[in-house]
Amino acid sequence: MSAARDYPPPPDVIRGRVAWVFGDDFDIDLVIGVENIKSYDAEFLRGKVMRAYDPGFADRVRPGDVIVGGRNFGYGHPHYPPMVALRDLGIAAVLAESFSPGFWRGETYNGVPLIAVPGISAEVTTGDGVSLDWRKAAVTLDDGRILRGTPPSDRVVRVIEAGGSLKLLLAEHAR
Amino acid sequence: MGSTIAEKILARAAGKDRVHAGDSLPVRPDYMIAYDFPGYTDVMFRQMHDDFGIRSLAEPERYVVFIDHMLTRGNAKEQEVHQVTRDWCEFYGIELHEARGIGHQVMAELGYALPGNFLIHFDGHVSGAGAFGALGWGVRRDLLEAWVSGQIFLDVPATTRFELTGEFAPGVDSRDLVHQIIADHGADGCAHQVMEYAGPGARAMPIDRRQGLCGMAMFTGAVSAVFEPDETALAYARNVARTDFTPQLPDADAEYAAVHTYDLATLRPRVVLPGSARSANTRDAAELAGTPVTKAFIGSCASGRIEDIRAAALVLDGRSVAPGVELNVVPTSEAVHRQAEDEGLLDVLRTAGANIARSSCDFCFGYQKPLQAGENCISTGVLNISGRMGSTESNIYLGSAFTVAASAVAGTISSAGEVGRS
Repeated sequence: MSAARDYPPPPDVIRGRVAWVFGDDFDIDLVIGVENIKSYDAEFLRGKVMRAYDPGFADRVRPGDVIVGGRNFGYGHPHYPPMVALRDLGIAAVLAESFSPGFWRGETYNGVPLIAVPGISAEVTTGDGVSLDWRKAAVTLDDGRILRGTPPSDRVVRVIEAGGSLKLLLAEHAR
Repeated sequence: MGSTIAEKILARAAGKDRVHAGDSLPVRPDYMIAYDFPGYTDVMFRQMHDDFGIRSLAEPERYVVFIDHMLTRGNAKEQEVHQVTRDWCEFYGIELHEARGIGHQVMAELGYALPGNFLIHFDGHVSGAGAFGALGWGVRRDLLEAWVSGQIFLDVPATTRFELTGEFAPGVDSRDLVHQIIADHGADGCAHQVMEYAGPGARAMPIDRRQGLCGMAMFTGAVSAVFEPDETALAYARNVARTDFTPQLPDADAEYAAVHTYDLATLRPRVVLPGSARSANTRDAAELAGTPVTKAFIGSCASGRIEDIRAAALVLDGRSVAPGVELNVVPTSEAVHRQAEDEGLLDVLRTAGANIARSSCDFCFGYQKPLQAGENCISTGVLNISGRMGSTESNIYLGSAFTVAASAVAGTISSAGEVGRS
């Protein structure tokens, strides 16, 4: 179940590009195809990720890039491998109009900044540059405009700073 | 401003006089529930032991584990998964309930889902506990936080209230209500909130229809759902309670994100198209008339209780499942199975050609008799995304037990009224 790779906490400000913009009620399983959701092998998943959307995706994503979603991003029974695959390529955060609670909770546990930013999906397109101050939920766009979302709670900030809930819990509770 | 049911339950569990929607604070669950599943419970037990160095639990009675998945193949791999779970539960002194049915139902029968209780699970369908005035919250892997610390950090959710009036028309049930709510308000209509059900329509609703309704809360984006505990819920709870409990009612001046009213008598049979339960996929059953089905399924943590089996028996009595259709009926628990047998319902279903299967989760997630490419299934399962019940090239339509049974008779999607039984 654990992610195949260990991911460090994100920098204070994540700078990258929008790697893809998804629509409303997006089922994260579709990122790798439902038939592949039981694999945690990053190499295997690399060959599957985003194939249905953009066959060149894996080759063009750079560390610090983000994906953008519409309303209710992560709808369904969100499994973990799709985000394993995306993080392995360098996706550092997810910005969406809103998140499905199960996806939000599960990936926050894994230390991914999931920031709800109203208006984001209409304001950016694939390839746009973004700069995300994730603690403040502030996204600076190419043209200098700043979109503001809902800042994470103090506890969630600590989870992300620790590199995920497991690491925070180990720091707090390991005997 | 007063408090909602969820705010009152979380305040009690947090040891506070009051909490408000938007507060972020640690809360102590009454029960921390899980089912054994590869990559979840086995890994979490190993982490608790190896990574956190926990050798004994201060309150093992707060931990509850069910074995309700992967009961039907009996191969070495699944036996190993179950044995790991048995070993860990024995090591920590945790109560393990094996093969008694789907845990989200059995937790009620065993007296965990009591009015006012706060329950967590990694699986969101624990929200079915809301039928009894309990708050059940699916917290994904954060269950580990509660396992190792006894508490879990939560953001207190806002609540949307649903005032229910009237009673379901014949051939209509709470599945039709939840799909209508999604159609009206969207798959995120109650995102990150709790759905609070009340009113004369709620009080008239049988307890297991309430369980099915609350168990589907996540498909509105909600984190949970809860009924105002009434005499029906309290009577059930008193009969099974293993501890004292404190029912919580909302204050008259509680603050709600929204209030919606539904007259249950106006609802019609609804069917959800394959893909997801999102609003645009919800249809009137009549619109899909003629769509052929090869499989029909009545079961799952949402819809395999005695009312669902009674509904199926009403539709199937004296009729036969259509040639070329396989109808599988899975009572939600062993207790439900026995009651259905005692009431003669299973005989009716068998005579009609239905297959009655052992109580488990296995049909709903495609472990038992997975769908083959090209098949259409009409299902009371919880989810109809691609590949959920087998091949990614099969189609899953969702409907009530009435609608599934009627479709099995017709061989095409039909409502109970269309086959003359409602």
